[in-house]
Amino acid sequence: MNRTFLRGSVAATAGILSIAALVACSSAASNGAGSDESVEWEITATTAAPSGDIDSFTFASYAEPYSLDYAYAFDYPDNSVLANVCESLLRLNPDYSLSPGLAESFAHPDPMTWVYTIREGVTFHDGSPLTAADAVASMNRHLDPEVGSFWYSVYQNVASIVQTGDREVTVTMTGPDAQFNLGMGGSAGVIESAATLAEKGADYGNSTGGVNCTGPFALDRWESGESITLTRNDDYWDEDLKARSGEVEFVFINDATARVNALKSGSVDGSWMLPMEAVPTLQAAGKGDVLFGLNTAVGSVVVSDLEGPLGDVRVRKALLLAMDRDGILQAALRGIGERTDVMTTESVWQEASDSARTAAFDDVADYEQNLEEAKKLIAEAGAEGAELTYVTAPISNDFSVISQATAAAAKSIGLNVTVETVTPSAYSTLFSDPSAREGVDLFYTSWYLSSPDALEMYSVLRTGDFSNYGNWSDPEFDALVNEAATIDDPVARGALTAKAQQIANEQLPWLPLFEAPISLYLGERITGVQPSVAFLYYPWAATIGAR
Amino acid sequence: MTATRRVAGKLGGLLLTLFLASLLVFFSRFLVPGDPIRFLLRGRKPTAEAVAEVTAQYGLDLSPGEQYLRWILGVLQGDFGRSLQYRQDVTAVIGDRLPVTLMLVAMAGAIIVVVGLLLGAVAALNRGRAADRAILIGLTVLGAIPSFVGAIVLIAIFSVQLGWFPSFGSGDGFFDMVRHLTLPSIALAIVFIVLVAKVTRSAMVDQSSREHVEVSTSRGVGRWAVVRRHILRNALGPILTVGGVLVAGLIVASSIVEAAFGLSGIGSLLVQSVDRLDFPVVQAIVLLVVGVFVVMNAIVDVLEPWIDPRSAAGTGAR
Repeated sequence: MNRTFLRGSVAATAGILSIAALVACSSAASNGAGSDESVEWEITATTAAPSGDIDSFTFASYAEPYSLDYAYAFDYPDNSVLANVCESLLRLNPDYSLSPGLAESFAHPDPMTWVYTIREGVTFHDGSPLTAADAVASMNRHLDPEVGSFWYSVYQNVASIVQTGDREVTVTMTGPDAQFNLGMGGSAGVIESAATLAEKGADYGNSTGGVNCTGPFALDRWESGESITLTRNDDYWDEDLKARSGEVEFVFINDATARVNALKSGSVDGSWMLPMEAVPTLQAAGKGDVLFGLNTAVGSVVVSDLEGPLGDVRVRKALLLAMDRDGILQAALRGIGERTDVMTTESVWQEASDSARTAAFDDVADYEQNLEEAKKLIAEAGAEGAELTYVTAPISNDFSVISQATAAAAKSIGLNVTVETVTPSAYSTLFSDPSAREGVDLFYTSWYLSSPDALEMYSVLRTGDFSNYGNWSDPEFDALVNEAATIDDPVARGALTAKAQQIANEQLPWLPLFEAPISLYLGERITGVQPSVAFLYYPWAATIGAR
Repeated sequence: MTATRRVAGKLGGLLLTLFLASLLVFFSRFLVPGDPIRFLLRGRKPTAEAVAEVTAQYGLDLSPGEQYLRWILGVLQGDFGRSLQYRQDVTAVIGDRLPVTLMLVAMAGAIIVVVGLLLGAVAALNRGRAADRAILIGLTVLGAIPSFVGAIVLIAIFSVQLGWFPSFGSGDGFFDMVRHLTLPSIALAIVFIVLVAKVTRSAMVDQSSREHVEVSTSRGVGRWAVVRRHILRNALGPILTVGGVLVAGLIVASSIVEAAFGLSGIGSLLVQSVDRLDFPVVQAIVLLVVGVFVVMNAIVDVLEPWIDPRSAAGTGAR
């Protein structure tokens, strides 16, 4: 389902990164902070309430959105802006719970049917009222091959979406699918005016066409390559989330150093997703706060060839046991994060029972570094001297650290890893093109979930799934996940998902390394935000006001 | 050869060069590994119908020859196709970013010409003396500074420490834009100043030792008049030639400076588009740069005889 592979990625290029690396070194040196020194951190759930409204504030984005068309909004830059402008049927809150959004309620009369009641009294930014017809038109776009929606996977089991009442939309599935409704809190559930969609056509959502939604901010202007400015929607329906700022401007600063400089000099008020190597200098500058919030991402090394030496689970275990993951975390992310042996974070186990959480996080194997055990496994598997290929790209500091650390760990137990460096765009094709993965054994990913359900992670590891990069196959796992996908009760579903997590932890189709919080910088002028990866879907900018 | 025929000949050569360049620019994309559609989907899982539909929308299902024809006919009408990453007309994508790069190149060009000529001239007129040596050493040091290092140092001192200039963005309106682009244009100009100053110095040194200069001086013509009428004017040829190359070079070099200062110009767009396999944008920018390069050279060729009549007479100025 949903994933990100290149954290803060696509904007970065080899040339630009070399600058960033150079500055990072020189500034670290001048601050007297060694590169291995770890940073003190803790999760912040919310910041102080604003003392009042503010005229405007500025946020930096590491890249320009590709599009504000919700069908293509699938990456941090797109979603972090869109979340404030367009709204979905359900709302994904900063604690990763779901609550009613543009649908004031929903019903699930039978396993094949979802019925949404569209909220009354909501208007689009152009003043026209929200209707059930708008919802039908917006949702049907995901099924249209001409659109080529990035969120198609949420709709993969949908048979039809029709208006069945004045304010009622009925979605019929081809089979039971508990995940569909959970996806309605993300961009897959965004509702746009049907008239706007028809009028803008192919230009809908780009910098000339724009969007017309219902969120607390309206898109005012998009200066291509420079900035996007949103203005407050004074007619916003939800009193609790009326914007505290008259305007918010997103400026696109691709270069990490330029972004950090803009924050340090105060010319930009804030930014999500900081380059971790810059955290000490930002803290030292003392003008604003570096904050860390709830995340759903886990950094893992994907095993992309199970035909090769890594086809033997003992070799996969040995490799993970050989890794100094605390050291990797320290060097890659300044120690901001925690080592993990599973592929999900507790934040996506929202409604699971305590026993499911215990099974998923406590009753699992711990792969703390153990070279003796690792060497023993390699000997048992007869894998000494096996050749492996690891592909990486100059995307950010953690990519290079993890590639080198993996190679070193492999070497320490008698495996030979060749690290190949490719361009960021070539790297991204590893995730979409099976031919690009030929001859590749390992690559790194930071994978986040867009719905509050851990099953989203494990559904991509079923036999034959698009994102099951190593073609891993385990019949027991497939049966568990397929059954869980049809179960509406989150407690029962969670129990099965926990078993799937145990199998993945035992079988290691990917090697989990660590989970890291989402980072946020707030300058001295603003406050009021809840730091959370939900900033991709929740109107976080509306809550920001004067400090 | 009359001047008209000369210009017509130049124009013909120019068009031929542009045509060949367009072939090279277009077909080189087929040598690059990677499928633009695969990249466009960025790891998403669309249906096969959706992939086919999107491929057709961008004309990627046609043969390379047909794709070229479609492209070049569009280009002749000012239509460079649609950007894959921005889902927007390439002309709009480039048009939004062109003013920044043009302004940056113009400001850098002005700095280069003024500072470069001045340093070169001062050095040449003080040949062998302390000022000459100081300038030569200074130029060597400057020439060793890559523009991205220059950019970092300038930002560190003038925007982060002193706060005199903004550290990113290109500003709104003329004066704000000048303020925003001051540091970037200096960073961009550094390397080229060295080039212009060195060419100026050696051309002027060369001219000063010419017989007619010595004759003029011995006849008691004032020193400044000699410099202006003989040395500088005759030295302009080589300086102008360098200038032609310089403009195209500046556009290309701007990518690094634009990235460092967070400017959205043609240079940073080119870098991004190459990385994202956004071929329509890459092709348009490369064609644009080649066009500027070819046109600048043609202008220099046409101007040269006007500045130095000897080259038109075919006696060879240098």
